[in-house]
This record gives sequence, C-alpha cells and structure tokens, in this order.
Amino acid sequence: MISIYKKELRSYFTTFTGYAFLGFFVLITGYFFAAQNLAAYSANYNDVLVSTMIMFLILVPVLTMRSFAEESRQKTDQLLMTSPITINAVVLGKFLAAVTLYLMGILITAVFPFILSKYGTVDVSATVCCFIGYFLMGSCLISVGIFISVLTDNQIVAAAGTFCVLFLLLMIDNIASGAPITRASSLIFAGVIAAAVAAAVYTGTKSLAASCIFALVGAAVIGICYLVSPTVFDGLITRSLGWLSELSRFENFYLGVFGISDVVYYITFSGVFLFLTVNSIEKRRWS
Amino acid sequence: MIEVKDLTKIYGAHTAVDHINFTVNDGEIVGFLGPNGAGKTTTMNMMTGFISSTEGSVKINGFDILDEPEKAKKQLGYLPDVPPLYGDMRVTEYLNFVCDIKGVPAQKRPEMLKYIMDTVKITDHANRIVKNLSKGYRQRVGLAQAMVGFPKVLILDEPTVGLDPGQVIEMRDVIRMLGKRHTVILSSHILGEVSAVCDRIIIINKGRIVADASAAELTEGSGNSAQIMRTACTAEKAESIIKGINGVNEYNIAEENGELEITVRGNGDIRADVSAAFADAGVPLLMLKPATLTLEEIFLKIISGDEPDAMQHKPPEKTAENEIPAQEEETEE
Repeated sequence: MISIYKKELRSYFTTFTGYAFLGFFVLITGYFFAAQNLAAYSANYNDVLVSTMIMFLILVPVLTMRSFAEESRQKTDQLLMTSPITINAVVLGKFLAAVTLYLMGILITAVFPFILSKYGTVDVSATVCCFIGYFLMGSCLISVGIFISVLTDNQIVAAAGTFCVLFLLLMIDNIASGAPITRASSLIFAGVIAAAVAAAVYTGTKSLAASCIFALVGAAVIGICYLVSPTVFDGLITRSLGWLSELSRFENFYLGVFGISDVVYYITFSGVFLFLTVNSIEKRRWS
Repeated sequence: MIEVKDLTKIYGAHTAVDHINFTVNDGEIVGFLGPNGAGKTTTMNMMTGFISSTEGSVKINGFDILDEPEKAKKQLGYLPDVPPLYGDMRVTEYLNFVCDIKGVPAQKRPEMLKYIMDTVKITDHANRIVKNLSKGYRQRVGLAQAMVGFPKVLILDEPTVGLDPGQVIEMRDVIRMLGKRHTVILSSHILGEVSAVCDRIIIINKGRIVADASAAELTEGSGNSAQIMRTACTAEKAESIIKGINGVNEYNIAEENGELEITVRGNGDIRADVSAAFADAGVPLLMLKPATLTLEEIFLKIISGDEPDAMQHKPPEKTAENEIPAQEEETEE
C-alpha cells in the first residue's frame, strides 16, 4: 500500500495535477477569505469553508479522474494486478494519496484563520471542528470520484461522471425538499427500490429464481411495514435522500458541534465507495 | 514448475480457452504458438492472475494463482502484450516502483537493477523519461520489469512484436540467456521465433492445444522421404526414367516455366538412385531437395486439421455428386 501511495503522490507532483489542484484550492479559498472575512470585517472562518465547497465540483474530478482510468488506459493495471499486492492495498493507496493532497490544501489555507486571530476573536474550537468536518466531507467526495474513475478508461468521462454525481450529491437537499411526501408516493418509491435490488441481483447472478426471491422479500417487507406502522412511509423519499446528503451532515460541524455519528457517517460513506471500487475491479477480473 | 489443469475461459457464449492442460518444468523455455485470437493472451492473463478462469486451475511452484495469489505472484514475472509502463516516470524510478510492489528489499536493489539493466541493455537510458523512449526500448523496459525480483517463472506475451530485425535477434539472445536462470513461457504467432528460442512448442488454436512437442519432433512427425527435383526434359522421358528407379512408390510430375517439377516418394533414402538414373539417361537434374515440411507448413497443416472436416467438407462433395447425374438426365430427356 505504501508503495502505491508514494507512487501516486509523486505522480501528482511530476504532472501538472498536484500544482493545479493546490493552486486553485488556495486561490478560491483566498478569494472567499478576502471577501467574507477581510472585506466584511468578520472573524467567522466557517463561512469561508462553506462557501468554498462549490469548488469540490471541479477539484475532486481533477484529483481522481486519473487514478484508475489512466491505469487501465496505459495497461499498467496488468502490472498492479499481477504483482504480489492486494487490490485493497491499491485502492487504499490511491485514496490516501488523493486525501493527502487535499489535506495539504487544507493545511496551507489554515493560515487564514491564524491571520484572523491576530486581528479579531476566532472561535478556535468551532473552527477546528469545522475543519474536521470539511476534511471528512472532502474525503467522501474523493472516494466517490475514485469509484467513478474505475468504471472507465477515459479520464474525461471519469471527470464528467464525477462532476455529475457530485453535483447531485451537493444538490440532494434541494431535490429532497421538493419530493412528494404522501404515503402513496413513498410506497411507489419503496417498490421501485425493491425492483431495482431484484434487477441488480438478476444482472449479477443471471438467476431468475434468486431475483424473484429478492423481489418477493422486498414486497413482503414493504407490506409488513405498512401494516405494522404506516407512519414509516410518511415522507420516506425525503428521509432516504437525506441519508445521502453530505451537506446536511456538515451543518453540525459548521455550528461547532462535534458529533461522533457524523464522523462515523462520513467514514462509512467513504468506506462503502472504496469497497465498491474494489468490487468493480474484482468483477472485471471475473467477467 | 507450472501446472495448468483444465483451464477454461468463457465470455458469454464464446469459449476463448477450452480445457487446456500442460505442465512446464523448471528451466524449460516453452513457446506458445497460435494464430491471432487463438487464446494465447487469455491463457497468459489467467496464468498470471490478471483475469480469473471460468474453470480449472493454475499452479505456480505449487501455489494456486486464485487461492494463494500473493505467494504465486511472487514467483512470476509478466510482460503483457503492451508493456505496462508509466509514461511520466524515469526508467530507474519505474523499476524502483516495481521493486516496491514486488517487495524487493532495499539493500538488494542497486545490484539487481544494475544486472537487469545491463542484461536488457538499457543502462544508457536509465534516466530517460519512459514516454520518450522508442518502442524497442519500451519493450526492453517491460522485460526488465518482468525480471525484477528474479522470479522463477517469466511469462512473456509476444516479446518481439514491433521490434526491428536487429532488436528481434537481440531480444531472442536475451530470452535464451534468461532460460538458463528462469523458466520461460513466451507466446508468438511467428514460428521462426519460437523454433529459434524454445525447447518445446505448444500450438494452440481456437482455445485448444493441438500440438505439444519439440521443434524437431514436429518436423519429423510429419516428415517423409519425399524428394522434389527439377529437370528440363519432356514429361514422357522423365516418367520413363522414374519408372526405371527401384524403390519409387509414387511420383507426380508438374510443368512450370518450361521446367518439370517432379515429386517422388519412395522407401528409405532414394536420393542416390534418383540422381544416378537421371545421369545415366543424360538428363541433368537442376535441383534435388528433400520435401520435408517446414514448421510453417506443419503449423498450417495442424491448424487446418483441427477444423472439423466432416462438418465442412463432406456436404459440398455430396451435392456435387448429386447434381451431375441430375443434369445428365435432363439433357437426355
């Protein structure tokens, strides 16, 4: 894992990517710092962190589009997969390298709150808390980018795909607030999810019986839940989409509230996407 | 030692590799030969664990590639059909990275890398950036990569493709030298290459092994005592001379550019009798050579023989037989 990590980190700095990422990161953060702190006579750095999140849409794809797409394009995945290292190590090494670069950006811009503290009162604990949330959330988005990069061998497709998915993830609160909250719509939603699971089982196993079992079990669970406590279905769509919302989790960190559940959420989210990445590589070997 | 048992790969409805069995002993250089699309690369990808097999097993020095991948892969060096190079690294940087992922201890590296770079002759280019290297040098860096860690088994997929003739000869010398230290399996669709380098040839076609023997055995197995000769006399005269030779069972005379090309087949070595008979008749022989098949011809013969004859050739013959009498009947009426 260390070898992959070192190689990835080095490649960020032998190519344009690392410098472009850090330069853009500092530039955008510096702009918001100047606009929202210096020009506005405000000592609340957390506002800057929230405002800069829009740049993830561009910077995360830049960071992750190469990671696996480039390996399969130049066929170096054959070297990695036939060497005595595990796929887990490769994925984790790449993820940690991208996260390290992101952390470098954070550490550079951490100068800004220090400057603020010279001239005003900065709430240290709230700022540190917000930085932790900022770091965890960025790491989640990086794991999504890495997963999308493994699905294609074209960097541009990987970048565009990552952009779209991150856009949806960041917009999900807006989408959820407009979703219907009636029980009927929730039932349909649950049915669609169950059907999607059954379809996924079918494409995975090519067994009609197995997918039918999943569909029936799904329908039974929905039916039983509806009979036992129909209130579960009130606003189910909104709540389900809310689980995917990165930003709503970030609100606590922004307010300076450090919640273990939020930390666990972010780490689990990254873990799930890294797991999916490993599985897609495995699946490609077995197909 | 490599043991391949019932190795099969099925992509949907297409069977790329169909129950292949073979064993390669330590120190052997084995050539994997077959036309494009025969399943060579798929087999090699399965042997190195890059893709999984649908059925069957591969054991490298006793370690199964799917059950104990890390141990098995430690015994392996693989040069895929496209050398797996990072374009933005320098040659030494790249080889050091390969040392890293193959777990070569730091103190062994300088000596090992020096030896490898000398062997494949890239020492002068050690500090160049990989993407600026020519195709031949990239292939060498690819080979160097496979040698890192001195694995017991080297698997090389078409190692000479895209090299110029001089480089091909150098590459063959390198492979022959590697054979002294490693077990080498190489694939190719060029016969000359395989027969020049390998102790043993495995011919694969449509996912199945159709021959497994040494180059000498392959040529002998289909050899015979036929001779081909050329003269400049009339066909009748040649025929009368041949009929007078003892031990000729079969002959065939063809005319070409005013010369006769005669193929004779007989018992044992008939060269002396043939030349003496023609000399006695005062007809000079312009050429006399044994009609043994070259590897190319054997290769084509084996591959075409592999096709199911009964399915493809017999029906047209039958229809031809049936059509002719039918036409005759019609004309009679």
